[in-house]
Amino acid sequence: MTTTTDTPVTAPAARTTPAKRPGGRQREGAAWVFLSPWVLGAAVLTLLPMAVSLYLSFTDYDLFNPPRWVGLRNYTQMFTEDPRYWRSVGATLTYVVIAVPLQLGIALVVALGLKSMRRGRGFYRSAFYAPSLLGASMSIALVWRALFNDGGTVDNLLGTGGWVNRPGWALFAVALLTVWQFGAPMVIFLAGLQQIPTELYEAASVDGASRWRQFLSITVPMLSPVIFFNLVLQTIQAFQVFTPAFAVSGGKGGPADSTLFYTLYLYDRGFVASHMGYASAMAWVLLIVIGAVTAVLFRTSRTWVFYASEGDR
Amino acid sequence: MPGNRTRKSWRSRIAAATALLVSCSLLTACSGPDGAGGDGGKVVLRYTWWGNPDRAARTQEAVDLFEKKHPEIEVQTSFSGYDAYKQKLATQAAGGDAPDVMQLDYRMIDQYASGGVLLDFAEQRSVLDTGEFDAGLLATGKVDGKQYAIPQARGTETVVYDTAQWKKSGVTLPREGWTWSEWADAMRELAERTGKPGATDPGQSEDAFEVWLRGRGKSLYTEDRRLGFTVDDLTHWWTFADKLRREGAVSPAEQTTQLDGTVENTPLGRGRAISDSNWDAPSSGFVALVPDGVTLAPMPSGEDGTPGQYFKPSMFMGVAADAGHPEESVQLVDFMLNDPDAAKILGATRGIPVNETLRESIAPGLKDFDRTVYDYQASLEGDLDAPPQAPPSGDSALQTTFQRDYDQVSYERMSPREAAEDYVTEAKAELRS
Repeated sequence: MTTTTDTPVTAPAARTTPAKRPGGRQREGAAWVFLSPWVLGAAVLTLLPMAVSLYLSFTDYDLFNPPRWVGLRNYTQMFTEDPRYWRSVGATLTYVVIAVPLQLGIALVVALGLKSMRRGRGFYRSAFYAPSLLGASMSIALVWRALFNDGGTVDNLLGTGGWVNRPGWALFAVALLTVWQFGAPMVIFLAGLQQIPTELYEAASVDGASRWRQFLSITVPMLSPVIFFNLVLQTIQAFQVFTPAFAVSGGKGGPADSTLFYTLYLYDRGFVASHMGYASAMAWVLLIVIGAVTAVLFRTSRTWVFYASEGDR
Repeated sequence: MPGNRTRKSWRSRIAAATALLVSCSLLTACSGPDGAGGDGGKVVLRYTWWGNPDRAARTQEAVDLFEKKHPEIEVQTSFSGYDAYKQKLATQAAGGDAPDVMQLDYRMIDQYASGGVLLDFAEQRSVLDTGEFDAGLLATGKVDGKQYAIPQARGTETVVYDTAQWKKSGVTLPREGWTWSEWADAMRELAERTGKPGATDPGQSEDAFEVWLRGRGKSLYTEDRRLGFTVDDLTHWWTFADKLRREGAVSPAEQTTQLDGTVENTPLGRGRAISDSNWDAPSSGFVALVPDGVTLAPMPSGEDGTPGQYFKPSMFMGVAADAGHPEESVQLVDFMLNDPDAAKILGATRGIPVNETLRESIAPGLKDFDRTVYDYQASLEGDLDAPPQAPPSGDSALQTTFQRDYDQVSYERMSPREAAEDYVTEAKAELRS
């Protein structure tokens, strides 16, 4: 309130913003009110559990008896005594390396196709986006399992047997489910493509640059911030993949631990084996790894991401 | 200005309060019903169990009868396959949201009783009558001298086979006292003559391993809750199973990995094998899946004739320690176990009833698969050794580890010895904690 009463205001300014100044204060209050569900939610549902989980990661906690402090034992056990932990790390990395580039590649190709489309773009954009809305649901993951099980559609069409029951193949079945949801990054790519000034292409055509040349020298650099954004987003999501792997592998990360993704093993340790302390420690390691990977991506981005404003310098 | 100020803060207070209410309702949305409330002041109980659709239908029928007899009580039921049930119950119990009445496995009692999840039935002694129960069987539901769970029925393992296909093959039929090597030979012959594996790969099953181990005079756990066998024992078992699988005498890894505790996903249930080793009562699920019906045969014995299988309390009923209506909850338990009409409906869907009077009174009326289970158990009466004590709390997790480690063997990613070493290391760590 002090600002409104103490600050002298000139007449013209007062006329244009008389309600605005006290209103600014009011709006700030209102802003907090509207933010409060989020702030409360973040504090109670995110920060508090995070703090508790950090504490639990140094304890032995079976959900029923009070946590017992064990220091770093969970962490040392994880890194030195648990072969299944490393299998889960291997499965997750394989998945990230396969699923993310494939998904982004397809999203980009489809976005380029849609951009040059004159009619029906809206329809196809929605059609390609639909899987992203559906894909996270349990039911789709179950359908996926049925499709790729032995005696399922894929088995009948290709005669490959059930993918989900073969250690070398099951991971691809899960990755395909992710790739199929290329709609979300595609929409972002499409928006990014439409931002690229057409003069650049016109100028390039006049200079006789081929389509491919234009793609490499105009589209890719101009789109690189969007590519970067999608890459970071999808990588973070891929590290945390859970639902599809849980459903497609029948909840066990099988066969032979081939789809035992990090989060799945974490769930297994926490909720099946009742080692919440160990599971919490795993969660913190995952957080740190995702943070590190994201930091590396940001670091490398300096060499390949081009921001148009840099051209002015 | 002062007026303006009060109005503003009044408005923002309302807004803040609303926001708070909204976020509070979001928070509490997760905690779910706590048993109180319901329509027209009815007492609402939640009752959950695992099992096959046949058990579900009959349990629902019994529950409907209970509701009819107790119009003031409404029972909300839900069921699922064993694996899913185990995980869901663990999560609910940990969150302080255990169902009022729950079906429990022998493996779960120790963990939930010591975790304070279960009600001591002594608190509701007047409601539940256990006078007709066999004292020895009743004792299996005790932890530290307190009755936390009531055995609901007893069961034993069985080699359940496709009657028509086995008979047609001409392979000698199983008999009581057959040995594991006779069993293995039968599986080989069945595979040769029918073109299908003789059985589910037994390597993944901790239950089958226990039967084999007991046939050799050992046990899964010692009395002081340590591991009762060595790496060599487990290597021996897994080498045995591994060899049969490679020969095609038992189901391939692609089939075995799909096992999830339901009969529908067993090779026998899918028509991809001639037999399965399972518990006797749940095998009723095969009747709907195997067109020509199934027969129950005893599990193989040790080479010197020592029987490995035993009568085990097949499942228990427990009541949540924080149940909103403990008395009504125990009433439901009493009804399920002691009511003659309920017993008639339930038959042997969970095994033969533990109430001895009821067991005798329903026996003549048992038909179809219930009769099969009854006769099967009667044929083994007096021949089996006493059951081991309740498994230590880590066992529930180890059962899953057992399957996983054997997956590594059946997919040929590890040798039986490597996998056995992994298992024993993890088991020791699990039992220590």
